[in-house]
Amino acid sequence: MSMPDEGPEKTSLDALDRWLRQVPYAAFLGINAELRESDVIFTLPSNRKFIGNPSLPAIHGGVIGGFMEQAAALHLIANMANPALPKIINFSLDYLRPALLHDTYAHCVLSRKGRFISNVTITAWQEDSGQPNAIARAHFLTSENN
Amino acid sequence: MPLLSNAQKYDLVKIMNDHIPHATLLGIQVESVHEEELTLKLPYQAALVGDSKAGTLHGGAITLLLDQTLGMATVCSDASKPAVTPTLDLRVDHLGVAPAGMSIFASARVYKATRKILFVEGVAYCESKDSPIARATGSWVRVADVDLSWLAPADRKAV
Repeated sequence: MSMPDEGPEKTSLDALDRWLRQVPYAAFLGINAELRESDVIFTLPSNRKFIGNPSLPAIHGGVIGGFMEQAAALHLIANMANPALPKIINFSLDYLRPALLHDTYAHCVLSRKGRFISNVTITAWQEDSGQPNAIARAHFLTSENN
Repeated sequence: MPLLSNAQKYDLVKIMNDHIPHATLLGIQVESVHEEELTLKLPYQAALVGDSKAGTLHGGAITLLLDQTLGMATVCSDASKPAVTPTLDLRVDHLGVAPAGMSIFASARVYKATRKILFVEGVAYCESKDSPIARATGSWVRVADVDLSWLAPADRKAV
């Protein structure tokens, strides 16, 4: 689902893994990236430390938000010729279903990549990609060192 | 006359906060309740850093604190009875970055309550609410009333 000339192949999974390790919050969440067909899929592995609602139990909505924002930033990095850490401008998140204690996945689409501003849409799901737990949009400021 | 006193609201949000395992893990604390405004505090910690060179917190950590503060502020509203309120949506504008090493505070209040929906706004800041690092708005859905029978009587001294 990536745009023709801006596929994730520009930055390898190894490079994404290095970025993931460089961001302490991404390491704290345990996020990893994998290639499924031509799409990068980000995973937030299930962990009891993320519980927000102990009676369901469900993962804290803020953790899902943080995961989606980080996935969006990495997706953008993967599409940059000279990757640099993007700065978040704003983030808009719709919660559709509670995230239970399962692995959570995220898929991103770079809706627009401008010289300074980029727009990324993010979908997060657990067991069924057709039943997303949350959808989000993020704007980032980028300063590529071209 | 508000439904709950400041002291009762404080007791309620403290119990709620301390029952959220992820909030306990991050050391999120109830800072204050003043009428309808709730303030929570997130201590600075290395695990939440987004930019390791600058040592500044990840946007996601700010989103997390705002999600929790706005969500818990729903029970501080004098316009509706405290309820179980899942988040419908949340929008965060990042106005600046939190300096490395500083705790983050978030303050929020319900600005409109309808029978079913609570509209909430709030800010995150380090030193002063007048210079926020992020501003958030969101909506929460009332799904069930909260049992308040265990709360201490309203005439207790305010916190």
